[in-house]
Amino acid sequence: MSVGKEELFKKLSDAVVNMDEDETVLLSKKVVVDRYDAYEAIDKGLADGMDRAGKLFEEEEYFIPELLMCSDAMYAGLDILKPHIRINDKVEKHRIVIGVVEGDTHDIGKNLVKIMLESAGFEVFDLGRDIPPIRFVEKAKEVNAKIIALSTLMTTTMDGMAEVINILNEQKIRDQYKVMVGGGPISQRFADKIGADGYSVNAAEAVRLARKLVGVLPDAL
Amino acid sequence: MSNISPKERILRVLNKKKVDRPPVICPGGMMNAAIVDVMKSTGHTLPEAHHDDRLMAELARDVHKYTGFENFGIPFCMTVEAEVLGSEINFGTLACEPKIEKEVFDSVSEVVYQDIGQMLKKGRIESVVQAAYHLSRKNTDVPVVGNLTGPLSTSASIVNPVSFLKELRKDKENAHKVINYVTDFLIEYAKLMIDNGADLISIGDPTATGEILGPKMFEEYALRYLNKLIDGIHSLNAPVIVHICGNINTVKQFIPYIRSDAISTDAIINLRALKDEFPSITTMGNLSTFLLQFGTPEKVGEQTERLLKDGIDIISPACGLSTSSSIQNIRALTKTVKEHREYGRSSFLPAQQVH
Repeated sequence: MSVGKEELFKKLSDAVVNMDEDETVLLSKKVVVDRYDAYEAIDKGLADGMDRAGKLFEEEEYFIPELLMCSDAMYAGLDILKPHIRINDKVEKHRIVIGVVEGDTHDIGKNLVKIMLESAGFEVFDLGRDIPPIRFVEKAKEVNAKIIALSTLMTTTMDGMAEVINILNEQKIRDQYKVMVGGGPISQRFADKIGADGYSVNAAEAVRLARKLVGVLPDAL
Repeated sequence: MSNISPKERILRVLNKKKVDRPPVICPGGMMNAAIVDVMKSTGHTLPEAHHDDRLMAELARDVHKYTGFENFGIPFCMTVEAEVLGSEINFGTLACEPKIEKEVFDSVSEVVYQDIGQMLKKGRIESVVQAAYHLSRKNTDVPVVGNLTGPLSTSASIVNPVSFLKELRKDKENAHKVINYVTDFLIEYAKLMIDNGADLISIGDPTATGEILGPKMFEEYALRYLNKLIDGIHSLNAPVIVHICGNINTVKQFIPYIRSDAISTDAIINLRALKDEFPSITTMGNLSTFLLQFGTPEKVGEQTERLLKDGIDIISPACGLSTSSSIQNIRALTKTVKEHREYGRSSFLPAQQVH
């Protein structure tokens, strides 16, 4: 007996919210076997589940351990569904370069932001942790990114964020990129001080900020 | 009471006894005040002082002397513990603190348990302990604060933190085993510091926050092992300060159950309100580190006055300081607190000083 398409997508979304990686894999395989549209399954199943997990995170129902487990389930499903996306569904996505500034090797926050941005439809280039300022600029040029997202957990590395903006100014390309910042010691005041385009307090908020910065509504992504 | 020494003052506050005015301290470790301005003027510099006991003691003395903070605080990083437990450390530079280059284990199930006695002979433990000794011998009036990286943060510094956080849910048995082992090690390390001159212990545990863990995990892991560590230190008759990072709202109900002698919080927390809600706790904090870096001495002075007026028990920066914080701003903080005593004794109270 085959379940309906919508019902299957709903189950997929539930499996992600419930942090059930095995179930997500099984259901993703079923999408492929039943020849449903993989892109739609990602959108209405996996990404929807991650979106709901993000809401639970904002409502302080879920915290970082839960969000990380949901994302494991989502990525496990993505691994199965991605090869089955039809070519004409591969729309041009807005690109973001993300990384943790030099001096800091903590990257939980950055990973969460990356996960949420990806599940919201952005194409994310992750430089990793402990990244010198110039590398952000080089990568953004190379991949033609719209946004540079900078993260840190350590007060001593906050200056690196200002340095990225200085480099953009010096190279007279500041207006080509939006710079967003976040992380434990960062505040809106700090973002304003260094001339960043935006600050977000958490991963879910970062998605809204990124959408605002590229000027798109959620549906248009 | 006017001749009370800084050491006596903080020990009295931690013992809930009356004092002339609050102490103003910067504990060290995660919250250290080894700023570039100080190091450049004395030549006792990091990263060298992370290793050498005499240099570490000299730098702690410099910080005390130049900033006016009423304590010596060692070490100047959060990596002593993780290094001994096996992780690879990058010792940073003059302006950039050390960090974990790579956690030694990928999962809580892979942790190799070492003999604690052996570990205490490794890494920089001896340097920190010797520095405590030098500091306590030379200036007996100034309290020596030994700093620990808390159980969860240390655990997340030896196990990949992303795996670690997931395994707090997925592999509770091994997660408990690892954190318990780390806590046992921390107690023994604290014991060495106390035996060699540390007057009190300050624990910073930035991974153990409500924002990261949520209330369930905070209670199951953070509260449990912080208290185990605190009890271990109390059994050596030394007081303990615990610093909780970030917004504590989701875990506020557990704060009175942390058995430390003082609770320090981030700038986001209204300490006055926290005190009103839980009159039993001794509060420490929480001057904005943003202000210390970017503000003016006048602004710092005003905010310090506010903390004094709110009756905060121990005045300190709210979190880790930027190494580029200005010495003038830090002095404005410590000076304002120290002059508070004068108000208390003077018959000419400034008009705004209503207590």
